[in-house]
Amino acid sequence: MIEFKQVSKKYPTGQLALYNVNLTLEAGEMVFITGHSGAGKSTLLKLVAMLERPSKGEVLIGNRPLSKLSQSQIPNYRRRIGFIFQDPHLLYDRSVFDNIALPLRISGMGQAETRRRVQAAVDKVGLVGKEKTFPLMLSAGEKQRVGIARAMVNKPTIILADEPTGNLDPELSQDIMYTFAQFNELGATVMIASHDHGLVERMQKRTIVLQKVEP
Amino acid sequence: MSTPTNRKIPPAKRNTGKTNPLSAWFNQQKEAMRFSMERMWFNPMSTWITLAAIAIALSLPTSLHLLLKNLQTLTADKRQVPTVTLFLKQQVGEQQAKDLAELMSGLVEVENTEVVTREQAMDKFRKISGFAKTLDTLTENPLPNAVIITPNLQQLGDEAVDVEAFANKLRKYSEVEDVQVDVEWIQRLRAILNIADRIVLVVSVLLGLTVLLVVGNTIRLDIENRKEEIRVTRLIGATNAYIRRPFLYGGIWFGLFGGVLSLVIVHAALLFMVKPVRQLTDLYGNTLFTISGVDVLMTLEILLFSCLLGIVGAWLAVGRYLWKDEQAA
Repeated sequence: MIEFKQVSKKYPTGQLALYNVNLTLEAGEMVFITGHSGAGKSTLLKLVAMLERPSKGEVLIGNRPLSKLSQSQIPNYRRRIGFIFQDPHLLYDRSVFDNIALPLRISGMGQAETRRRVQAAVDKVGLVGKEKTFPLMLSAGEKQRVGIARAMVNKPTIILADEPTGNLDPELSQDIMYTFAQFNELGATVMIASHDHGLVERMQKRTIVLQKVEP
Repeated sequence: MSTPTNRKIPPAKRNTGKTNPLSAWFNQQKEAMRFSMERMWFNPMSTWITLAAIAIALSLPTSLHLLLKNLQTLTADKRQVPTVTLFLKQQVGEQQAKDLAELMSGLVEVENTEVVTREQAMDKFRKISGFAKTLDTLTENPLPNAVIITPNLQQLGDEAVDVEAFANKLRKYSEVEDVQVDVEWIQRLRAILNIADRIVLVVSVLLGLTVLLVVGNTIRLDIENRKEEIRVTRLIGATNAYIRRPFLYGGIWFGLFGGVLSLVIVHAALLFMVKPVRQLTDLYGNTLFTISGVDVLMTLEILLFSCLLGIVGAWLAVGRYLWKDEQAA
């Protein structure tokens, strides 16, 4: 499903984020990516979402190299991915409801179905009653959950999460992880970057450790 | 919706309750319309200022055009063009004048004759000049009898020279004191109107460009304010079309509302003009002339045109941004 072939990523600043990564994820797999900060966890996820492009090597999704996607195919590809950012990137002039509904509106879903889906997502991340609130009035943890709901509302086939529980208390973190696991059971391929070792171990999933190597 | 990568995903894993493309398109349009409309009133003050600028820019060529149209109906009035007035000698009486008119209507060059007696002329003069009281002090009517002749233009040709030659021929009659040809001012007015036509065209093009620039600049500022939003929506799979859409609708709204406002301005200006124009036409004894305003067809044309300017302005602004964005990526 997701395959990295000798992927290296060097940023224009000269920082080498990834070096010669080879990695294969089966469809419907759930993996954790750990490693100390700066080991390239975020970069790995960004390469899958095409937010960054590899300097060397190739990322393949469903046996198809991402470098072959044309500019106009990228939006469609991204709609199949739910990306949970470290900073949730919410739109501050829109309510929680409208933030979560955004992916559905982009794909042109009808009002009734949108409302149903958003409500289900709000329910799942425990934000019931906050639909009309604006992001500025939310705590960091709540903002993070809005970001998670937005990533999942479209029922993506690939879920990428970059430190999704960084701002959450342990109990909620656990809940969110179970939510990811549920999506995984429904068939989504899930990649989670996290440095919360306790949590990662408890989930008993395949774990990939990125190590800093001097090239 | 069907990239090769998409097809590899088993249907069960795809979005359930997937919307069909047509209703998806429709939903997207609806959403963009609603959203852009809401956006407009986030900052009502600047929106009103923009709308006012558009409306003023549009109302100017519209009112110039109306002015011209009205003046053209005046000169196009064939019954009055051109006329030759014969002022008869003082000693020529009313009956003689009528006989002369009858005689003249027999000429091939003459289409129609009308006798204006000295009493009628005096009445008219009294009304027009406002010297009624002064005129009453006169012991006798100093005005002559007159015959107004409408020449037959088919016989005569429209040339001023021919009319002038005809006038000279009339001058030879013994009863005639003076001949006045009423054609020059019409021809001059027509020539002026032809120039005015061009001026209106130039002004329309320039002010149309102004509307384009105003809308384009407003949308450009709007894009600046919403860069973060565009970035985020791109991250979650927005196409260029999706990003462009609300701005284009924004341009349409600006054009539409600006157009409506300009029509309001033009109508108000017309109402303001009706009374003095009525007074003027009364003075000329012309009861047939009324100001022709903006008809339904013209209303639709103006609105369509202003919407078009709005959407083109918006398109240019967004197009430029998306192009730059793509170069940067």
